[in-house]
Amino acid sequence: MTKASNNKITIGIVLSSIPKYSETFFRNKIKGLQESGFNVILFVEYANNSDLDYKCKVVVAPLVKKSRVSSIFTSSMIFIKGLVLRPKKCLKLFLLNKKDNLSTLQNVKNIILNQFILKEDLDWLHFGYGMLAINRENIAAAMNAKMALSFRGADLYLTPLKHSGCYDRLWKKAIKYHVLSEEMQQTLIENYKINDAEIKVITPAINTEQFRCEASSNRDNKTLKMVTVARLHWKKGLEYTLEALALLKQQDIKFHYTIIGEGDDYERLIFAAHQLKINDNVEFTGKLNQGKVKNHLQNADIYLQYSIQEGFCNALLEAQAMRLLCIASDAEGLQENIINEQTGWIVPKRNPKQFSSKIIEVNNLSTSKKEIIKQKAMLRVKQNFNLEMQKKRFVNFYSH
Amino acid sequence: MKTKTLKIAIYSGKIPSTTFIERLIVGLSEQKHCIYLYGLLNFKPNYPNLVSIRGYNSKFSKLYTLVKYTFLLTVFKKGDKKKLDAILKSQSRYKLYNRVKYYPVLWDKPDIFHLQWAKGINEWIWVREFGIKFIVSLRGAHINYSPLANNKLAETYKLLFPKVDHFHAVSKAIAEEAEKYGANAKKIDVIYSGLDVVSSTSKHSETSYSNIKLISVGRSHWKKGYQYALDACKLLKDEGLHFTYTIVGVLKDVELLYQIEDLGLQSNVNLIGPIDYSEVEDYISKADVLILPSVEEGIANVVLEAMASDTLVITTDCGGMPEVIADNQNGFIVPVRNPEAIALAVKQIIKLSNTDLEIIKKAAKRTIVSQHSKQTMINGMVDMYNSTLIKL
Repeated sequence: MTKASNNKITIGIVLSSIPKYSETFFRNKIKGLQESGFNVILFVEYANNSDLDYKCKVVVAPLVKKSRVSSIFTSSMIFIKGLVLRPKKCLKLFLLNKKDNLSTLQNVKNIILNQFILKEDLDWLHFGYGMLAINRENIAAAMNAKMALSFRGADLYLTPLKHSGCYDRLWKKAIKYHVLSEEMQQTLIENYKINDAEIKVITPAINTEQFRCEASSNRDNKTLKMVTVARLHWKKGLEYTLEALALLKQQDIKFHYTIIGEGDDYERLIFAAHQLKINDNVEFTGKLNQGKVKNHLQNADIYLQYSIQEGFCNALLEAQAMRLLCIASDAEGLQENIINEQTGWIVPKRNPKQFSSKIIEVNNLSTSKKEIIKQKAMLRVKQNFNLEMQKKRFVNFYSH
Repeated sequence: MKTKTLKIAIYSGKIPSTTFIERLIVGLSEQKHCIYLYGLLNFKPNYPNLVSIRGYNSKFSKLYTLVKYTFLLTVFKKGDKKKLDAILKSQSRYKLYNRVKYYPVLWDKPDIFHLQWAKGINEWIWVREFGIKFIVSLRGAHINYSPLANNKLAETYKLLFPKVDHFHAVSKAIAEEAEKYGANAKKIDVIYSGLDVVSSTSKHSETSYSNIKLISVGRSHWKKGYQYALDACKLLKDEGLHFTYTIVGVLKDVELLYQIEDLGLQSNVNLIGPIDYSEVEDYISKADVLILPSVEEGIANVVLEAMASDTLVITTDCGGMPEVIADNQNGFIVPVRNPEAIALAVKQIIKLSNTDLEIIKKAAKRTIVSQHSKQTMINGMVDMYNSTLIKL
């Protein structure tokens, strides 16, 4: 039985904002589901005007005003409207929350804050990140919808460190989990005692047509060109990467390293590059559009992804699709992204010495060996991480 | 010896300021100099009589400050007010908040305006137009990395450093760094931070490090390099060493929390949130070794505290640290970003005899007494102020 009048299965996806053009994962997912005949409703906390032409129904959470008086007035109106229009859902949510020991005040607030979701009829309510489901553990049940939750990496490995026990209530609910890697699946099973059958691994996918190496460029063979596409954030391990590159410099290896991305750690990284005396070899481009990213990838020899924590990593898939030699750390999903020694190389994280040795080793490989690896990696990404495959897996996710 | 009483503004933007700046304020006033403090008043410390506070903390106190000093300046120093207003207008900075900030300084017209944080140079260079000598302290991040990541700041330094009357550098290393932005070497005095040295008997007379207590103290910031100390802990643990490592000041640092869990160090490492200074001192004195794994520092004050309280120090060679620690003599010095070297130094300490440990601790204390006493710091500052005033 489906909730919508046209007999389509309706999936509500909860995100903090409408996915930007660069957030390919959610864009692809939503597009894929629509193409497969699902109704998709997107619930977001906030939206910009430019987002409003998004190609599915978007429900934005009501803006609670700063002033106390208007906030109380708006909230009361939402609450009363909710009770009148959907009393059953509100009552059910209240009782479920009460069972979870929410105080009456917290409970009422919870009902008010989630009216924008409750007002829709859904078959599935799918939370896009772990944090988004906190304090919304009972919404799906109150709507008689199934609940799904995606973990993307940081929300599984980092959020509970900062907010101890934040998912405790979630683990007790009937939820179908989507994770990006088998490693994450194991984490859910071992650390949180989640039933294996409730977890589905769906790896990210890329548009392999867009990331295709169009022609082998004439490279200056004297300078080793390396690149990383990443947010400037500690979890990307860029400081350790720079330390590894400083070791290359000590061995008089000529190289140029480009970091594409922006983030809070810019000061940290530019200082590291100076302190390590490789500032002339390292370029920070800031954030670039896809075309420019592609150009950089096309002109590079080796792609580096020496992350400390990583769910799976689309950028690494894109680099493989672009026929780059890829060296990554053993952080979580990266070990599944690359098959060590076959489609690239995996080096233990936080070990600049080993990382630099691996870069040298890879650079010294024969051209034929390099070609074999590049070809294997490109084919594997094309076959296993394409959008069509991801689409099928998500259709399957909601069908069972 | 006859000493002239000086009117000195110590400006850090906040009242009270950091421990060492507070020590400077009190020390100068004890020498009968009049100290003026401006900026955001968090609370009123118990200062000696010669310290005047011109702080504000609420909309009302800001308004009061503005009205009071606008009135005083208009009535008694009309020309000065007009001149400052013209300067502010020419820079498009004739804003209410700026006037709240600047008018009290213009009214007091101290002999010296001592800016503690170089990043604020653009906001305060105007004091020179009124015969106030402008002194800028060269401390840590403001010189060592902020201008690397911020071209505009680097340009501001290059433009304004040549105009500054004098600089106070916390280390020789940072003085050299500032010269890259046009600070004249002849106008820089290196004056080390100072602290009170309490003579105490050595606390580790019968040391045996069956479970060595390591500590680091500092805020949660990448420049502190804690990840290298944690990597060193992993090496120590893999070798079967028994130790605890406490980092004070970083309770909810996810980067560190993740690393601790990832490396399986939960039973060895404790993170503690920011605590009172007296408690920090207590932690330092109870530890066997203070580790400073930083990648950047002027001179880390916690190292001085540790040396004064008989706690051994392992520090990286960043910034001015080699000016304090001589390897194997009054502590241990390791290269930056080098976990193996930190682990090696810890193992070296464990192997030392009690006699050798005592020699190092005594040498550390001698360094503090000769180079980092509060009196040396205050005398250095007063000399710098006087010589700056003499220069025309």
